[in-house]
Amino acid sequence: MRKLLDGHNLVDRDWIYGLMTQSNLFNRKERGGKIFVSPDYNQTMEQQREITMKRIWYLLENGVFKGWLTESGPEAELRKLALLEVCGIYDHSVSIKVGVHFFLWGNAVKFFGTKRHHEKWLKNTEDYVVKGCFAMTELGHGSNVRGIETVTTYDPTSEEFVISTPCESAQKYWIGGAANHATHTIVFSQLHINGTNQGVHAFIAQIRDQDGNVCPNIRIADCGHKIGLNGVDNGRIWFDNLRIPRENLLNAVADVSSDGKYVSAIKDPDQRFGAFMAPLTSGRVTIASSAIYSAKVGLATAIRYSLSRRAFSVTANGPEVLLLDYPSHQRRLLPLLAKTYAMSFAANELKMIYVKRTPETNKAIHVVSSGFKSVLTWHNMRTLQECREAVGGQGIKTENLVGQLKGEFDVQTTFEGDNNVLMQQVSKALFAEYVSCKKRNKPFKGLGLEHMNSSRPVLPTQLTSSTLRCSQFQTNVFCLRERDLLEQFTSEVAQLQGRGESREISFLQSHQLAEDLGKAFTEKAILQTILDAEAKLPAGSVKDVLGLVRSMYTLISLEEDPSLLRYGYLSRENVGDVRREVSKLCGELRPHALALVTSFGIPDSFLSPIAFNWVEANAWSSV
Amino acid sequence: MTMSTEMASHSQILVEEKSSVRILTLNRPRQLNALSSNMISRLLQLFRAYEEDPSVTLVILKGQGRAFCAGGDLRPLLSYVIQGKWRLGAAFFADQYTLNYVLATYSKAQVSILNGIVMGAGAGVSIHGRFRIATENTVFAMPETAIGIFPDVGASYFLSRLPGFFGEYVGLTGARLDGAEMLACGLATHFVPSTRLTALEADLCTVGSSDPSFASKILDAYTERPNVKQNSAYHRLDIIDRCFSRRTVEDIISALEREFTQIPDDWISSTTQALKKASPSSLKISLRSIREGRLQGVGHCLIREYRMVCHVMKGDLSKDIVEGCRAILVDKDKNPKWEPRRLEDINDRMVDQYFERLEGLEDLKFPPRNNLRASSIAAKL
Repeated sequence: MRKLLDGHNLVDRDWIYGLMTQSNLFNRKERGGKIFVSPDYNQTMEQQREITMKRIWYLLENGVFKGWLTESGPEAELRKLALLEVCGIYDHSVSIKVGVHFFLWGNAVKFFGTKRHHEKWLKNTEDYVVKGCFAMTELGHGSNVRGIETVTTYDPTSEEFVISTPCESAQKYWIGGAANHATHTIVFSQLHINGTNQGVHAFIAQIRDQDGNVCPNIRIADCGHKIGLNGVDNGRIWFDNLRIPRENLLNAVADVSSDGKYVSAIKDPDQRFGAFMAPLTSGRVTIASSAIYSAKVGLATAIRYSLSRRAFSVTANGPEVLLLDYPSHQRRLLPLLAKTYAMSFAANELKMIYVKRTPETNKAIHVVSSGFKSVLTWHNMRTLQECREAVGGQGIKTENLVGQLKGEFDVQTTFEGDNNVLMQQVSKALFAEYVSCKKRNKPFKGLGLEHMNSSRPVLPTQLTSSTLRCSQFQTNVFCLRERDLLEQFTSEVAQLQGRGESREISFLQSHQLAEDLGKAFTEKAILQTILDAEAKLPAGSVKDVLGLVRSMYTLISLEEDPSLLRYGYLSRENVGDVRREVSKLCGELRPHALALVTSFGIPDSFLSPIAFNWVEANAWSSV
Repeated sequence: MTMSTEMASHSQILVEEKSSVRILTLNRPRQLNALSSNMISRLLQLFRAYEEDPSVTLVILKGQGRAFCAGGDLRPLLSYVIQGKWRLGAAFFADQYTLNYVLATYSKAQVSILNGIVMGAGAGVSIHGRFRIATENTVFAMPETAIGIFPDVGASYFLSRLPGFFGEYVGLTGARLDGAEMLACGLATHFVPSTRLTALEADLCTVGSSDPSFASKILDAYTERPNVKQNSAYHRLDIIDRCFSRRTVEDIISALEREFTQIPDDWISSTTQALKKASPSSLKISLRSIREGRLQGVGHCLIREYRMVCHVMKGDLSKDIVEGCRAILVDKDKNPKWEPRRLEDINDRMVDQYFERLEGLEDLKFPPRNNLRASSIAAKL
């Protein structure tokens, strides 16, 4: 099962897990006779930043980052993703620092730049000769990249671009790496050529020299202490007519000639912007995956704890009952476990389609990754909160990780695109696809909408246990929900437009249907990935357990979604049947709980001490 | 067991009862106390009985003659392999690893007196126990990679838990460690000069409780902290950590060669040589075994090692064990011709196969244990 869940590069993962446990840099400690490694979150912000860099140097020296930018192809990419995931399991700050340097700065050079940029920068990035960061977000603009206010003009006499920050809201903000360490940055800016704003483009600028002094015409300030992720030195950047050579424009999509003429192979500015943004999908892919690993750490801890902690007896003089033997405790944790499993398969599938991407699949990847990033990061936050509560007071202790992870991972719901904005993109994409297919009278193809070419599924009125657990029924419900919401959404938007509203305003006013639709699409896509994984298994106990998990995922999703009742997909009785089936499944999954969390493959030393012998861990002898 | 094998095993393991303490002596001194299948069965029988017997508080294990235990009895195993009777070999290892598991999860204290050679299978019956007493005569090694097998008997568990990447160094090179080095790295828990062993044993026999702190107090009073010798590998932990942390065996060797260009140290060149002489297949599977074992409980480690050793017995992936035994033990020309010959000829997929369960062979199953120490709990799907 571990092979199934981790999906790829198990040996590489084990190697880097070992690198971390065997070094003194990763805050190794003994609790209750076991070794644990986790960051010391009680260090000051400055100390956390410093030790995070030291950890990265250690990994660099050990060759962890070899080939991260100079090698290409699915195999190399999957290896990078696996190693990054393990970094994130140890500490989100480490993976963010590494991610910003390699996936944001490095990938920008690789995909936005051309040969001259690759030759000058890629190897130096891999060897950390330069330390990169990524200045896109501004104080006044985050998710709306197109609205950023930094301005760049061209000076043909010196063949330089001039970058400036015209007002305070244009300052670059939250730039990971900028406050202390970074020497270079990608700068996103509006490009004004001959009085015309050609839109957002990306440039390379040096911000510090090799001795760590900030370069002239650049001001840098610290974003300050955060509720988590204090190992990352986020900075703010102002550009005061900074001059950079013409060659520093990352010119894969568009260019400026030496005499100042703007050229681009893509004429349409929207398309050009889209082509620009495509490489940023890797962020959504890695975030979705790391969110699930964080949820796994929380659940492995909470479930293991609940298998040894007892509270209250139910009979006079009887022994106290194990937490996980309470139906209510099962109900709190096991559905989240099932969702985590399903989303784990979804994250893996996303990684696979990402590393094998072609220009044709880019649009679908954009939509799916937006949906997955949002749903998975929200799920992680909810799971961590539940796990924190499920372990009671022990969850308040920083060293026990579960509670601390909330602050460390919270940012995932709003960076790389606010989740709500991303989900709107999902619904807009589905809308566009629907409208276009109807207009051209063509069958649906892509984005998983093919089911709409067949007749509308009819759900049985009687929902027995076996029906509820049947994969065909589950698929039908999810398809029906998506179909109906898509039809309702497009119909409502059309109605509003009919009354004279613009399409954009109509979208805003139909936002509730849009949200329901986005969620329906994403949940259905997730279901498909766990069904696919289950189908590949030979008959046996692993397949059977995965079937239970899959049913739990489907049924808890249905139970929690008001759409089912609101739009009449299920009757009140049916919804009662679903709820009862969830309780039944809790009881059936209970005996598998330990095995299911062990299959996460996260080594014991990366979990919380309370997942094991928490009495011995707290013994006086170890004080 | 037949009458004669029962008598054989009874004479190969000597048993003494001194009040509530049991003293077991491995008694095959002409074979340096190499473990036969009879000895393994007998040890399993005895240890299990002692665990259930409330009148037993402590078990002491030692070796007759100048060795503690030089390893497992390889000759019968070799003939099984050559005759294709690998299942008999598998049965031997199943018993042995079960014994290792019982010792690793034993609820009473075991004191092993390592007054001599302790290698291979000898480590399997001692290192998992709570107390390991080294002396000035101790010589420890896991020399399997030179013979075409891999450090087993739960070595993927105990080697991987040594400081830094010392475990990889010990497991891949078959390096020998003396008593002081064993104490320094944690393989031994105490060091007592051999002249004081008789007195130590007598004191241990006064232990009237199975609470290990009683034995611990006595041992702490006897133990010394000898300095590790000047040219010990233990003084080179920084080089070991830099090199043996590398991802692959090839990278480890390259790293060592790079270090040698900086400092032409004999130790580096002999370490490199040891790696170059060992079976390439053995090196690769040993490295992966140790790396995986680092993250697993002892039960999981032994189950994994069992799969690996069955492949070795069956010879379906490599016949290096036959060639290794021939070159080192039989013909003694010390010039084995490994197949595959070079590290580059062994890809990840080939290594993967050693870790897969054999067709028609069940994974090792261990008896459920009640008093699992936190460090050895292993859950599995």
